Amino acid sequence: MSNDFVYVTYIYSTPQKVWDAITKPEFAKRYWFHYNVSDWKKGSRWEHQHGDDSGKIMIDGTVLEADPPRKLMITWTRPDKSKEPSRVTFDIADDDSGLVRLTVTHDQLEHDPAMAASVSGGWPKVLSNLKSLLETGKTENIWLTKNKEG
Amino acid sequence: MAMANSSFVYVTYIRAPQQKVWDALTKPEHQKVYWFGGHQESNWKKGAEWKMFMPQHGLTDSGEILESDPPNRVVIKWRNEFRPNLKEEGYSRCVMELSTEDELTKLTISHTIEKENAQFIQAVSGGWPRILSSLQSYLETGRAHGDTRSPAAQAHK
Repeated sequence: MSNDFVYVTYIYSTPQKVWDAITKPEFAKRYWFHYNVSDWKKGSRWEHQHGDDSGKIMIDGTVLEADPPRKLMITWTRPDKSKEPSRVTFDIADDDSGLVRLTVTHDQLEHDPAMAASVSGGWPKVLSNLKSLLETGKTENIWLTKNKEG
Repeated sequence: MAMANSSFVYVTYIRAPQQKVWDALTKPEHQKVYWFGGHQESNWKKGAEWKMFMPQHGLTDSGEILESDPPNRVVIKWRNEFRPNLKEEGYSRCVMELSTEDELTKLTISHTIEKENAQFIQAVSGGWPRILSSLQSYLETGRAHGDTRSPAAQAHK
């Protein structure tokens, strides 16, 4: 069975703002709490650096496709290269009502079930927080929130 | 485990108290604002009837409340009533779960039907992200998506 992860969210924003939120390190840090660092050109390296400024690389990879502000496709690799890379595609589309439809597809996860489990929990946190930031300016440190009963 | 079923799962985190998210999910006056004009009728108690209406179609879906634990969890036995190809697929099961994580409410929708490659699940896979994005905007900003009750729209009615 496929363990592809697909998540769609609709945001009152513009494609350019959503693109910037994904690709600009300081912008990403505000809702993802990590930096995304690259020149975002096809074939370039990208790094997902820890937001604590330790410089720790959480994930890295290669830019497979970049069509600002519409589409970004990257490989998603464990820095220790212990598993085959997976792949993330961001599709950014205009809705007819001032809404941006952002589709995040994380696939090629067959070789890394632990990563599949981790990202299917992580993407909803990241993308809900992105929507909150763009619509209200507010965010929550999503990696520190605790369940009240937990 | 080879179970012939189809499912759609969506998780969203909304900056609002859990009770407010529950109320928005279950009360028609909220639903009409963010559910693209649609609303549901039920008393949300176990065994109760459940019906959904959309302005352009009338009754669209119906079923029964299978479990109810406000404001934490509700399970709906849910069948489409207005598209014959979907109605034919029979009843689905929709689980809505809410929990509180600091300032956020985590909302998980799991919608399942015991049929492989179900068209019903394909249909709701397109609908839920729109509805839940609209719900998040409504609760966080007051402005839902496709708000049919905007002041301008109301003035013409």
